[in-house]
Order: sequence, then structure tokens, then C-alpha cells
Amino acid sequence: MIHRLKGIGQDVLSDPVFAACAAVAIGAALLMVTRRNPVYAALWLMQCFLAVAVVFLKLHAPFLAAIHVLVYTGAILVLFLFVIMLLSLQPHELGAEHSRAARALGALVCAGFLAVLGAAALHGTRGAAPLEPLRDVAVESGSKTLVITAEQWGGVEHVGAELFSRFVVPFEVVSILILVAILGAVVLAKRKL
Amino acid sequence: MTKYLLLSAALFVIGAYGVLGRRNLLIVLMSIELMLNGVNVALVAFSRAHQNLEGQVFVLTVIGVAAAEAGVGLALLIALFRNRRTVDSGDLTMLKG
Repeated sequence: MIHRLKGIGQDVLSDPVFAACAAVAIGAALLMVTRRNPVYAALWLMQCFLAVAVVFLKLHAPFLAAIHVLVYTGAILVLFLFVIMLLSLQPHELGAEHSRAARALGALVCAGFLAVLGAAALHGTRGAAPLEPLRDVAVESGSKTLVITAEQWGGVEHVGAELFSRFVVPFEVVSILILVAILGAVVLAKRKL
Repeated sequence: MTKYLLLSAALFVIGAYGVLGRRNLLIVLMSIELMLNGVNVALVAFSRAHQNLEGQVFVLTVIGVAAAEAGVGLALLIALFRNRRTVDSGDLTMLKG
């Protein structure tokens, strides 16, 4: 267990981009959950999302990294900031927080959960072994077959070909879900309940 | 591979602490986004390790669900604040007998 952890530590340190992104993401996430003012929390969350987008680039998911920045930081966080400013909370309207003991208990439960997840990750994978290089894949898209090379892996062409052939049903289901959510949001926010 | 899973676990757990340990509903909603984000990192890492794009397509679906959840959640929050002038989950005791 300990020597596995040491191997992971060396693996992280040998990859400075990942080390920096992971440190920024975890640090920003910790600052986000501890801020009292929601505006600062939203800005730290944005920092965390940008670091995660760089991790996506390292995992050969350039299209997802772009979509992540567009949707999370561009749409969701702007929506959060917009609502925070719409509510324009006064300091006394922020509400009370849990007592120190309750927060410590919550942190303890979370630390235990992290230990379980971490142990599962350490035992269930091959540890610090590098990922296999990407192989060329053939994607059936309609009547023609695309050959995706390692450089194109996870790019617009690859994701698009898969999304509009094999995964077209989930794609349409998500569009219906978003349509219902738009209607629900308009009804909830507009009417005096 | 393991380092990506550990990052994913750390982000998820920090989000879980935000849901458990905070009472400001805005922060709770942001923490839920953070938890979804941690799961996304694990899905993309497995997608890369198994050289299978299904993980990435699933992340696209999760991003869509997260956007819908944020929209509805914030609309609920606005409706709540209009009626009760509070964003504190501890003040929401209307269902208590």
C-alpha cells in the first residue's frame, strides 16, 4: 500500500502539468467549499473547472475540454453569478452555518469516504504504469468508415461520428431533458408560488 | 491512471463535504457541480485507459444533465428566496409537522 502510494507520488511529480493542475483543482475546490461569500465560491469553482479542462486535454479529450470550458465556466457559472447578483444577498441573509462540531463530523465522514475510494483506486488499477499508446480505430458512421488516428482521438470528428451513429438515442434524450428543464426553470422562476 | 482516479476521488469528496457541511443553498448547488466534475474526470480517464470513446460520450451527457440541474436548481432557489427571504437550508422546515 505504502510503496504503491510512493510510486503514484513519483508518477505525479514526473508529470509537472498534471501535478500543477491537480494542485490547483484541489486547492480551488477546498477554497470553494469554505468561502462564506457565494461570489468568491463561484470564482474559485471557475478556477477548479479550468484546471480540470487541462486534465481533459492530457487525457486525449480535446473536444470535451473545449465543451467543458464553454458549458461549465461559460454557461453554468455565469448563471450562478447572475442568480447571486439577482438575489443580492445582504451579509445577514447568508444564513447561519452548521456548528463547528457538525462540520468536523462531516469532514470526518468525507475523509473516511476518500480513504475507501483511494484504496479502491490503488488496488483496482495498475498504479503508476503509463497508459498504452493510442491505436488507430475505425468508426462506422452512416455508410462510410472513418479511420481515426492517435492524433485525432477524442477530437470533433471522432466524437461527432460516434455521437451521431451509435449514441444518437442518448443524444436526443438529453435534448428533450434540456427542453423540459428550460420550461421548468421558466415556470418556477416566473410565477409567484 | 491511478493518479487521475485519485484526483477524481478528491474532487468528489470535497464536493460531498460541501453538500454535508454547508447550509447556504448556493454553495450546496456548486458543490453538486463539483461532484459531477469529479465523476467526469474518472469517466474520461477510463475512456482513455480502455481506448473506448463511450466514456467521453457519457461525459457529454453528464454535462447536459448538469446544465439542466443547475438551471432548475437555481430557479427553485429564486422561487424560494422570493417567498421566504432565505437561502439557508436550515430554515426550510415547512414540511415539519
